[in-house]
Amino acid sequence: MSLFGTTSGFGAGGTGVFGNATTDSHNPMKDVEVTSPPDDSISCLAFSPPTMPGNFLIGGSWANDVRCWEVQDNGQTVPKAQQMHTGPVLDACWSDDGSKVFTASCDKTAKMWDLNSNQALQIAQHDGPIKSIHWIKAPNYSCIMTGSWDKTLKFWDTRSPNPMMSLQMPERCYCADVVYPMAVVATAERGLIVYQLENQPSEFRRIDSPLKHQHRCVAIFKDKQNKPTGFALGSIEGRVAIHYINPPNPAKDNFTFKCHRSNGTNTTTPQDIYAVNAISFHPVHGTLSTVGSDGRFSFWDKDARTKLKTSEQLDQPITACCFNHNGNIFAYASSYDWSKGHEYYNPQKKNYIFLRNAAEELKPRNKK
Amino acid sequence: MWYSFAWFDLYLVRLPWHCLQTFCWVLPQRGTTALKVKQLEQKDRPQLLQPSCEDITTQQVVLISTMAEGGDMEWELSKENIQPLRRGRAISVLHEALSLQQDGLSSAINQQRQAFESELRMYDGDDPLDVWDRYIKWTEQTFPQGGKESNLATLLERAVTRFTEEKKYHDDPRYVELWIKFAENCPEPLDIFRYMQAQGIGVTQASLYIAWSEEYENQGNCRKADLVYQEGFKKCAEPHDKLLHFHKALQARVSRQVMMNVEEEDSDDEPKQPERVSLAELKHRGKKKAIAPINRTGSAIRSISGGMQSHSAPVLGNASNSRLVVFDENKTQSAGPSEPKLEAWAAPPTSRAKENERNPEKWCGVKVPQKSKFGHTVMAPPPPKPTFQPFVEESDQPPTMTPCKINPAVNTVLSARKPHREETPLKRLQEHHQQQKEAESGKLQEQSTYCKELLLSGATEFCFEELRAERYFKKVTPEVRGQKDQACASTSN
Repeated sequence: MSLFGTTSGFGAGGTGVFGNATTDSHNPMKDVEVTSPPDDSISCLAFSPPTMPGNFLIGGSWANDVRCWEVQDNGQTVPKAQQMHTGPVLDACWSDDGSKVFTASCDKTAKMWDLNSNQALQIAQHDGPIKSIHWIKAPNYSCIMTGSWDKTLKFWDTRSPNPMMSLQMPERCYCADVVYPMAVVATAERGLIVYQLENQPSEFRRIDSPLKHQHRCVAIFKDKQNKPTGFALGSIEGRVAIHYINPPNPAKDNFTFKCHRSNGTNTTTPQDIYAVNAISFHPVHGTLSTVGSDGRFSFWDKDARTKLKTSEQLDQPITACCFNHNGNIFAYASSYDWSKGHEYYNPQKKNYIFLRNAAEELKPRNKK
Repeated sequence: MWYSFAWFDLYLVRLPWHCLQTFCWVLPQRGTTALKVKQLEQKDRPQLLQPSCEDITTQQVVLISTMAEGGDMEWELSKENIQPLRRGRAISVLHEALSLQQDGLSSAINQQRQAFESELRMYDGDDPLDVWDRYIKWTEQTFPQGGKESNLATLLERAVTRFTEEKKYHDDPRYVELWIKFAENCPEPLDIFRYMQAQGIGVTQASLYIAWSEEYENQGNCRKADLVYQEGFKKCAEPHDKLLHFHKALQARVSRQVMMNVEEEDSDDEPKQPERVSLAELKHRGKKKAIAPINRTGSAIRSISGGMQSHSAPVLGNASNSRLVVFDENKTQSAGPSEPKLEAWAAPPTSRAKENERNPEKWCGVKVPQKSKFGHTVMAPPPPKPTFQPFVEESDQPPTMTPCKINPAVNTVLSARKPHREETPLKRLQEHHQQQKEAESGKLQEQSTYCKELLLSGATEFCFEELRAERYFKKVTPEVRGQKDQACASTSN
């Protein structure tokens, strides 16, 4: 299912008011702009699962809201609905059947948003802001997993106010990812824990961090048989680690690579190192995308260990990214990530979500 | 004649103006009522209840009433784990802290700590030291056992190094107090005090000289202890009366000690039973095998080593060792009056050997021990060529392996283990200076583009979102009270 017709130019889908042909630094890649973007920094993006027809995108923001758009085949985006929290929304995810959206917020609660009825119910409560939320669908149970800055990982059956299970973590949860039967949580102080979710969630292994700096984002990848086999971990200093859980040869198979840095060849000036804000894997090709504080996104082939593409530089950091269920659309959000503190925050600056055709650019390179 | 200080059951105080070097527990017998404790205490140790001890007298009343009620004996079980504080502990806080800690770190403590951490980062007033000071005091009170959970050592270290350059704090009694606490946590407090003197921190504060002299006294070096006070007088340390008072107390102790020794010698009518000395080397008997003698006193002793007697030597020895380690030619020569070796201090000495902590550091080549022709592990060999093709960015230069400092092919110095880069505050500070120098000369290879100081300024790290969330919470509370409607109107599309 292709998103754009081959003849239509970018921005000509009638989406943005700013559909100018001249190069704006806010959209140097000339990607499709989503209409009615949030009013503050976008913290998370997620596309609807394949069980639902069409493509729906949800985005949570620091304006305490989470918005839902329908992305049509011709590239048009239609704002559909919005829900509010009483604090900034930090993460959001879909249920496996696409009927519900779960949102996690700084107000220490998580809500279940039923899209059909447009009602949102609180389903989880923590002692601190909830940083990550994921839906787990196991053969014998389904639940929500929430990771919070109160150092706990809790699992919720949405029908009950008490968690099904609560696991203590050594530190605050900074990011997490779930691909059944595996879950990975990266915490403060460079902690890294893998959980296994069969029968019931339990801690599987604590891993020494392959990175030397603060963990920022994590994403699980799968092998050829579609089983989760490892994860990519991004740090605050321009580096991503690819780590396999049970590789045949750990020293050889696990590696890290530098990314989101400036001045590659120029050695006279110091190289600027930027934070990696999000990592996302292409559902079909297994290649990955990273987005960073430098306002660029890059596509990588981890098996061939090569870079596929780096974008032009946007005038703001890119804070979130995701692929839709079939990998045709790549969405990324341009907004301030607070990497330089509050002095560099400009509330007047507009925030954007861009959509890009991802079918071709993320095809893996042939290994030499 | 030296009084060992009785620790009241619930109230643990180490009073600096007593000559105390040892504390002993006054353990009531099981079933003893509180009254008995008081009696014992008053009868035997009248001098201890001095007027300036008002804290104890009031607290004593409180604790006695608690005990008399047969209140919970939780603290009975934990009292040995409670670290003494100079100022003493507030009973209520101590009780609370102990009961809370039964269940691990409670969320109330977590929240309070989080509040301090965020205050550290959000503070934009004139007196950042105040936040650190309150944070550290709260930590001390809340974590009676000290220990790793409290992060106290880290906090102290961060606090002192953060303000080392700030001249305005050098004579601030709070700051000096922090340094003294930090010194107490270090294996070599004397080094810290010398460093302070070299840097001009606290040289006009009596508390520095008092703590310093106490340390000398603890090590048995009364002469140096006295010299420190002389130094303090020379520097007109304030408050002068306090310094005088403590100095007099020291002199009294020393003279008593001397008298005691003289008395003992005089009153030696009967030959004392020879006593065994600990850690003494004994002459062995037996011709072929060395067998320990049965009588281990008197002539059987070959030499006495260990114990208190070799303290004066290492004190100087350490100083000279440190001089070699920390010499930094770029550091301005400070006016160290009495000891010229102070000029060489570039950074505070080691607070502790941090084996269990790893800070982010440059990657060193992984080395696998290689076997020599004799089958022994010889040396750290060159990093093996990676069997995979390391990832190379298109526009980048070829990835460099961190250069191996030792060329193993040439260097025949054997080391089975990779040279361990000891992470000490000393090294960290030196590196920091190094980086600053490099940044000035433009030699710095990489620089991070995010607000590192903000993220790392407290005891634990923050992420961007936490920083932002703190600011959001700080902002939102006044808004919610009065301006809710306005906020809604402005954010709606």
